[in-house]
Amino acid sequence: MKEFDYLQPKTIAEASELLAQYGKAAVLFNGGTDLVIQLRENLIAPDYVIDIKHIPGLDQLAFDQENGLTIGACVTVARLAADDNVKKYYPFLAEAAESIGSKQVRNRATCIGNIVNASPLCDTGTPLYAMDAVVCLESKGGKRELPISEFITFVKRTAIRDGEIVTSIRVPYVEGARGVFTKVARRKEVDLSTICGTAVKIKDEYHLAFGAVAPTPVRMPKTEALVRGKELTDQLIEEAGKLARTEVSPIDDVRASKAYRLDVVEVVVKKSLRALR
Amino acid sequence: MEELKYVGKTFERSDAVKKVTGALEFVDDMHFQRMLYAQCVRSPYAHAKIISVDMSEALKLPGVRAAICGDEYPNRAGLYLEDRYFMAKPGDTAKYMGEAVAAVAAETPEIAEAACKLIKVEYEELPAVTNALEGMKPGAPIIHPDLAKYKIASIFLPEAGTNISHHYVLRKGNFEEACKQADKVFEHSFYVPHVQHVPLEPHACMARYDADGKLTVWSCCQSPYAVRQALSVAFGMALNKIRVVSPAVGGGFGSKAGTTLEGIVIPLAKHCQGRPVKLVYTREDEFVNAYVRQGMHATIKTAVQKDGKILGVQNRFVWDGGAYTEYGVNITKAGGWASAGPYDIDNVWTDSYCVYTNHPVGGPYRGFGMCEIHFAIEQNIDMVAKAIGISEVEIRRINGIRPGGHTGMNEQVDIAGYQECLEEVIKDIEYDKPCEPSGSPTKIRAKGIAGGWKAPSMPTNAGSSAIIRMNEDGTFILMSSGQEMGQGVSTVLPQIAAEVLSVPPEKITFCCGDTDYTPYEWQTVASRTTYCAGNAVKLAAEDLKNKVLDLAEIKMGAVKRDLEFKDGYVVHKIYPDRKYPISEFALGIAFPDGSGYGGPAIGVGTYTLENNINTDKKTGLAIYHPAAYWTMGANAAEVEVDTETGNIRVLKMSSCFDAGKVVNPALYCAQAEGAMVQALGTAIFEELKLKNGRVLNKSFMDYKIPTADDIPEFSIKYVEHAEPNGPYGARGVGEPLMVPGAPAIANAVYNAIGVRFTRMPITPDDVLRALREKKE
Amino acid sequence: MKKIHVRFYINEELNELDVQPNRTMLSVIRDELHLTGTKVGCGAGECGACTVIVDGKPVNACLVLAPEMDGMHITTIEGIADHDGNLSPLQKAFIDHAALQCGFCTPGFIMSATALLNENPTPTRDEIKHAIAGNLCRCTGYIRIIEAIEDVANQNKGGAN
Repeated sequence: MKEFDYLQPKTIAEASELLAQYGKAAVLFNGGTDLVIQLRENLIAPDYVIDIKHIPGLDQLAFDQENGLTIGACVTVARLAADDNVKKYYPFLAEAAESIGSKQVRNRATCIGNIVNASPLCDTGTPLYAMDAVVCLESKGGKRELPISEFITFVKRTAIRDGEIVTSIRVPYVEGARGVFTKVARRKEVDLSTICGTAVKIKDEYHLAFGAVAPTPVRMPKTEALVRGKELTDQLIEEAGKLARTEVSPIDDVRASKAYRLDVVEVVVKKSLRALR
Repeated sequence: MEELKYVGKTFERSDAVKKVTGALEFVDDMHFQRMLYAQCVRSPYAHAKIISVDMSEALKLPGVRAAICGDEYPNRAGLYLEDRYFMAKPGDTAKYMGEAVAAVAAETPEIAEAACKLIKVEYEELPAVTNALEGMKPGAPIIHPDLAKYKIASIFLPEAGTNISHHYVLRKGNFEEACKQADKVFEHSFYVPHVQHVPLEPHACMARYDADGKLTVWSCCQSPYAVRQALSVAFGMALNKIRVVSPAVGGGFGSKAGTTLEGIVIPLAKHCQGRPVKLVYTREDEFVNAYVRQGMHATIKTAVQKDGKILGVQNRFVWDGGAYTEYGVNITKAGGWASAGPYDIDNVWTDSYCVYTNHPVGGPYRGFGMCEIHFAIEQNIDMVAKAIGISEVEIRRINGIRPGGHTGMNEQVDIAGYQECLEEVIKDIEYDKPCEPSGSPTKIRAKGIAGGWKAPSMPTNAGSSAIIRMNEDGTFILMSSGQEMGQGVSTVLPQIAAEVLSVPPEKITFCCGDTDYTPYEWQTVASRTTYCAGNAVKLAAEDLKNKVLDLAEIKMGAVKRDLEFKDGYVVHKIYPDRKYPISEFALGIAFPDGSGYGGPAIGVGTYTLENNINTDKKTGLAIYHPAAYWTMGANAAEVEVDTETGNIRVLKMSSCFDAGKVVNPALYCAQAEGAMVQALGTAIFEELKLKNGRVLNKSFMDYKIPTADDIPEFSIKYVEHAEPNGPYGARGVGEPLMVPGAPAIANAVYNAIGVRFTRMPITPDDVLRALREKKE
Repeated sequence: MKKIHVRFYINEELNELDVQPNRTMLSVIRDELHLTGTKVGCGAGECGACTVIVDGKPVNACLVLAPEMDGMHITTIEGIADHDGNLSPLQKAFIDHAALQCGFCTPGFIMSATALLNENPTPTRDEIKHAIAGNLCRCTGYIRIIEAIEDVANQNKGGAN
């Protein structure tokens, strides 16, 4: 690993100041499960590593029916997966969190880190996309919020501005929402998703979010429109599966072929809708 | 025969406490004073001329103590074929992407890494051979133009001026005639890609060169004597000036056989006199720069009668040997030896080619060619059976080898447990009974079977030796260079000595892995250790016993035939009250006048196979016994195929092998379990993805091996038809246990979804593609 | 590059060090504290050979930067047997079940399993498999490791099977 200076700001303002000061020469450091690998392989070579884990208030995991679920930046996916409120109100998010890596990795990796890393296949991405989660950012200049679908802009790219830190992600609460998360991978455990998908039924809508099938996680507006408010007959589900294929743009990569991903998207959409009937 | 007391029983591993406490020191755990760290510069091209190597900037970096390039290597080395310098030389070529072209030794790993970045290497890229079949064609770039000049063991037949470093030929009977007699002739082709052994411990090695000219090498190697020999040849050093120590091996599977990274650190150590230089591979290095299992293209033609009798087979195996085939030539030969499979076939024509390619270096991998060829052979026989309308069980019953039958090399085998093992696994998995329902119409279950066999493919004069010494208190030190690498050598060999000496195994401390102290062992490979080293150990124990009984005669006033070792005593067989603890003889005996005689008690055993004769060079046919022994057996597998995602789950695996004599049942079963999971890995997960000579997936992110959540239910059985020359009838099993796993799974997958996968691994992508195509 | 002063407990012993930030906890444990029971298997959090217990939870030491060690309570394999060398029930179970071969992955498994059993003394087989899925073994085929952990789980249940 290249040499760098390790900084431990105690407030968001301090962290933001450091980011502004060092610009591209600095990276934020949280769970470390992606970053340490990037440092080891010299994929990144920052001069400053800014650890945000000493900033109080970033590790809150709170739920109430008005604000929904607030996931602080430093909440590990292990904690997220085990939380009673998450398991009760967003079980598909708990499942997605539990599907990341191994137990060892889950004890360090954070949900926010998973989102900020912005891999197209980020496992906590699709539940959050399906729930229209909101990303909360803060800098020394103030706070702002962004829908998650606007936050991740491309492969490993986000709308984060210079000096900004993601402090939390807020997941709205909708009474009666039911969802299902599916991860398809080569190996049962400790594998990146070949594809992942979350389907959530909210009132008479079905929100469909899929990962590893486009440069970012994506919703399926056409397919969602097709099934909105309708009875999910076998035929409609069949149609939905076929339409879903047109709303994704997977590629061939070392893990799987484009054709495989398209087939499995169709399968997962259909299975998910059947489960939500 | 008297019942055995120690052989055949489960004893606790002698090394278990050190391993569960993390106290066992592996090479990378060893920290010496003033140690230096090595790192390599590696070729970014699969094939390139090395124009120049400029190390001047690196040498200026503070903390750098030495920098070397291929100029340091005067001689080529290699186990069966001396075709490799340990580092590619300026003026010569780099022959695979990742080949070491320079190396440094520095005070810290970080400085070593930084120094490597400062070394400037000028390359001229050359066209590369990235497919073995292409590499055999005229006009292909020639990777080793000097092949004709290389020193090679006489049994191998390189084709000068080509990329073929060995063409093995077997001509038993007349295949063309067999085709004329046959009712049907089938031809099927298969491909097995490269995989890697994935020992959990990456390769690590340390060397120190002392002022008196003695070189000490610590390496996690399976065969310290092979390393010593290779270094001696490569550097022109006398063998008594080289000491190779293997303190522990964190998994070998063949990847740590022969000589791998040791050669890189020797010249660095020479330039840093007295300071140890350590090189540790990263996991990425492990996938590319340690041995890999070579890829293999197979075509099998089968001439068969409609009643299922196979009249003849013609095999063509083309091995993608990689940049150096110093080891691979023998794998090519081993594949040829076993090419008929465990079947008694009168006409067997095999051509097995070892081909140089610009790929990572192919080396010994558990099975030594058997897993690759059986993936083809055992699916082929299923395919032939189905094509002629008989069951895959029946075709094996008809053609499977029996005692008194003949191998593909026309060697008569008097012991052949194949049929028994086949019946055992068929019964065990209830092959004829349908599977329990999966509970889902889209998850399909089925069973499959496969047989397999292996003989050690070692030089006919491969030698083993052991020394056993009695301590003054009647405990023992047993020294052998059979290397413990997890398989249980350090428990099993003492059990053999314990049986001879009639003392519990915990009284025998086992030492291995040091060429200055533990005596010669050719290599710990080939599943030969229980048999060969075991024989040497048995002979050493008998030698010690003999010498002690000579002294006991004097002390006890009896004759040898009436004395025996029993439970730590020398006892008179007729008057059992007349006895002495064996410790009485540890330092010899004393006469009544107090003078001493005949000690200390030390036994020596040496073992070389008797009458192990190479096959005829032209026909490949046996002259006498080319194989020390054949270990035969079978696997059955039950799989569940998810036809929606393509994922395959292996639900059950059943194993039965003829082990001759199982020395330690728990350790035997442990080997069987590990072997089947390793086979499962190759069947459904593992492939080194090579593109234009580059390994695309050289990390655990995209090279997946089975986890605890991927394992099947195991059922492990064995039969014991004694190997006549094996210690207590034992024969080797470590590799054979893996051989039928992958084809059993592939056959099961066919039985589940009616798709034949002639290529490993069978990925979810492959399954969905095949199902899609089947529908169309 | 400024070194960072860290203060942490390792196997209940207090340590204070000045560490290079660009080193991992794994490197500090092995190369500076000379506790070499924790192994380097891949350096990328995939194989689990470097598993240690931090504040009660199993983590990959290769993914933790050295400065983060400040304030941690770390247990390594060297802290599992007691000071007189008495093995833990889990270590004994590993031996009894022949749940090890080459031994390289063994410390990592024992750490993962110890953490599991501390959190859940009577895990089911599925819970065991899920908990150790991040530990790779090439030698054993895993079954004996699972059985060894189950053995301790059964002991915790009071022998009820």
